[in-house]
Amino acid sequence: MSGNVPTIDENSRWAAFRREVGRALGAAIMALIVAFIVVLFTSKTPLDAMMQLLTAPASKPRTIGLWIDDAAKLTVTGLAFSLVFQARQFAMGVQGQVYIGAIATSYVVLGPLGSTWAAIPLGLTAAMLAGAIYGFLPGIAKARLGANEIVSSLMLNYIAIELCNLLMRTDLPKASAGVLTSVDFPKEAVFPPLIPNTRLDLGIGLAIIAVVVVWFALYRTAWGLKLRLVGHNAKFAEYAGIRPTFIMVSAMAASGALGGLLGAMFVQGQTYGKLTVLFEGGIAFEGILVAIVARSRPLAVPIVALAYGYLRQGAQLMNIRTDVPAEVIGVVTAIIILLVSSSFSLNFITRLFRRRDRATSVPAGSVVK
Amino acid sequence: MALLEAIGIGKTYPGGVVANDGVNLTIERGEVHAVVGENGAGKSTLMKILFGIEQPNAGRLVLDGKDVRFARPREAIDSGIGMVFQHFSLVPSFSVYENVVMGSEPRSGIRFDRKKAIAEVQALSDKFKLHVDPLPPVGALPVGQQQRVEILKALYRDARILILDEPTAVLAPQEVQELFVAIRSLVAQGHTVIFIAHKLPEVLEISDTITVMRQGRTVGQVRSKDVTEDSLAAMMVGREVVLRVDRKPTDQSQRVAEVRGLRVVNARGTEVVQGIDLTVHAGETVGLVGVEGNGQAETLEAIAGLRAITAGTIALSGEPITGMSVLDRRSRGLASIPEDRIARGLAPGATVAENLVATRLDEPRFVRSGLLDLKAIRLSAEKLIERFSIRVGGPNYEVATLSGGNMQKVVVARELSEQPKLLLVNQPTRGVDLGATQFIWRTITDARDEGAAVLLSSADLHELLALSDRLMVFYHGEIVAAFTNTPDLTPETLGTYMLGLARQTPEDMKGALK
Repeated sequence: MSGNVPTIDENSRWAAFRREVGRALGAAIMALIVAFIVVLFTSKTPLDAMMQLLTAPASKPRTIGLWIDDAAKLTVTGLAFSLVFQARQFAMGVQGQVYIGAIATSYVVLGPLGSTWAAIPLGLTAAMLAGAIYGFLPGIAKARLGANEIVSSLMLNYIAIELCNLLMRTDLPKASAGVLTSVDFPKEAVFPPLIPNTRLDLGIGLAIIAVVVVWFALYRTAWGLKLRLVGHNAKFAEYAGIRPTFIMVSAMAASGALGGLLGAMFVQGQTYGKLTVLFEGGIAFEGILVAIVARSRPLAVPIVALAYGYLRQGAQLMNIRTDVPAEVIGVVTAIIILLVSSSFSLNFITRLFRRRDRATSVPAGSVVK
Repeated sequence: MALLEAIGIGKTYPGGVVANDGVNLTIERGEVHAVVGENGAGKSTLMKILFGIEQPNAGRLVLDGKDVRFARPREAIDSGIGMVFQHFSLVPSFSVYENVVMGSEPRSGIRFDRKKAIAEVQALSDKFKLHVDPLPPVGALPVGQQQRVEILKALYRDARILILDEPTAVLAPQEVQELFVAIRSLVAQGHTVIFIAHKLPEVLEISDTITVMRQGRTVGQVRSKDVTEDSLAAMMVGREVVLRVDRKPTDQSQRVAEVRGLRVVNARGTEVVQGIDLTVHAGETVGLVGVEGNGQAETLEAIAGLRAITAGTIALSGEPITGMSVLDRRSRGLASIPEDRIARGLAPGATVAENLVATRLDEPRFVRSGLLDLKAIRLSAEKLIERFSIRVGGPNYEVATLSGGNMQKVVVARELSEQPKLLLVNQPTRGVDLGATQFIWRTITDARDEGAAVLLSSADLHELLALSDRLMVFYHGEIVAAFTNTPDLTPETLGTYMLGLARQTPEDMKGALK
């Protein structure tokens, strides 16, 4: 109301920011309360289990490493999903792109250039290119043939997973017969650790760079503005002279490059340093949650990834150390998605309190002075 | 003592839009009280506050002499206030009586007592002359009857005060009269009606008292018998409104747009444009007359490059543009104001600045080597907001937070920020208030005066007659009549051709086809 505060413009932006943060936090807290109730019923030592869930990831340098490494990977998959979601394309192909990217990397680094300084940059490039092509496929199929991108991208995921499986059994050099793991990559091809004996490696740097690049692409380039306009209203974009199909396909390809990058981060990272079947463990799909909670905002993605990565890691440690299965985190995830994607707002809670105040102070019918 | 009073109501939306600023409203028992004002004057916000949907930032509500506050509609309903919205909230597959009693069903034990419900609804409907059969599903009823169901819903919940939000907007003239009969019967039986409207003749006919709002404030409260339509319009807009524009004499020798033998087939395979020939000259407005759905919209979309054609040619300044992309057509001086601003003309979730620059993303002014020049975009948006007096907090506000008239101004500002060669306009003032209509008419005519060729389609014959130099009447995808606009040309003459009752011979048309 008065003139010496920031302009309404800034105020409203802050208000929107606070609203979103409040919404996410509220959802997380409510989800944790429900999780606790579930744990109460399933565990003999519910308090201990909840303590593990909430504190274990930060307890030791090693677990912190696991957490941050997860967060970096969640960030990249979250960005990949944010990019297509902002264009309002529901491509679900990050998982497939991860496998295809990892396969491409493996062939490069197990080849003649694998033990030179070029192994890391070449591996990354190959992975991103392969991922981009793999993301391009459902895009072009939609643009040219009208194929639904959800279906085609999900199908492509299975093809990629099984292709990895097949190559592992046939073509790729194995560590020993009967093991579905490739030989270790040359040490030049593996990301150097940032802190010895943890999983913290170059991947974190790549994730941070990816955040900045995606933010810049979306909010500072004409391509990004076109992409967002297509996402807001494709019919408007067409009318304004933007080619929605080009934007759509290029968004899916760019998202695919991020998926491929994530593939390289897996196999070239400290965690593996080699290719193996089913290495990705389902983390790619959790980018959907990250993107939804972050409202597809690239700068919010790493924050959400850190918070969610913490819970995810806590659940795994709880699984190992107590009698509660890690699946409890599925409950938490489901509730968070439900609350954030529905029109849940904190008004609901404040209203509860307001009603209680009123009930104690003024009789209903509400004569207020 | 007044029945319901709103005193000093203030409401600012999170987007920074001030919708109500010190609004006062006094409703007496047993009257029909109209609240009038242009779109965006704050009428709807005020009603939402009375009904507990929105919370005011300032001011108070007094009902029966006691201060009240409604945190949600339920509390307003419990205090005897009912509201009927423009967009009904009915379940189409449920019967009339089910819709009426839903949420407050009469019961016998735990069972829903259907017989009692039907009887009660029938009794209510007879009592207030709101005739509607309680049994058929609501979805099968015409809009006018659905509205009665909404009113019955409110009455069933014992509403003493009934708020009707632009009830006549969706009704045919006969239905309006029936609604007024019901309103009079409600008032005669002690109810009070608050009536939101912007069609002034209706307001004067039905209401006892009128409160006029403008730009979020109350301008005044008058007795209906003391005012005329003109004085009311002047109060609403804040100045005398003259809804006419003068067209300057222009040089109309140069052909800008030439359409020959245009044919368009729609998605269902029907040929909706059947071989149309059109010429538009520089400095000329050609009006496309016709009942909606006779091919005018498709013709404009085909010229804009938004719809595939099956035959024919389109030329702009002598150059064929038939196969060109939208962007290429735009770069050759084509601009277009589409029929539906929200579906086609804007990206409501994007900011005003982003909407304004969307058609110019290939221009080095705003984009260099693929990078946005945010400063140039913002400055240009600020200039356009000023020049087209768009009421918005700033260039970074989402378009969705604007009122209908201001949204349309964003579209007009973008399309006319530079002088176009060919301007396509479809329904420029649909759902736009008087002040903005006047402004949009002026702006389109200015573009024509400066030498643009304008093709205008509108459902409003007065708009077509006010703006056009020549008029083409469409019927079933063909041009059946052509006129040069003169003061003698009346809506009735056009109507005969629009309805297909008459058709000019090619010789008759020749003079006006040029």
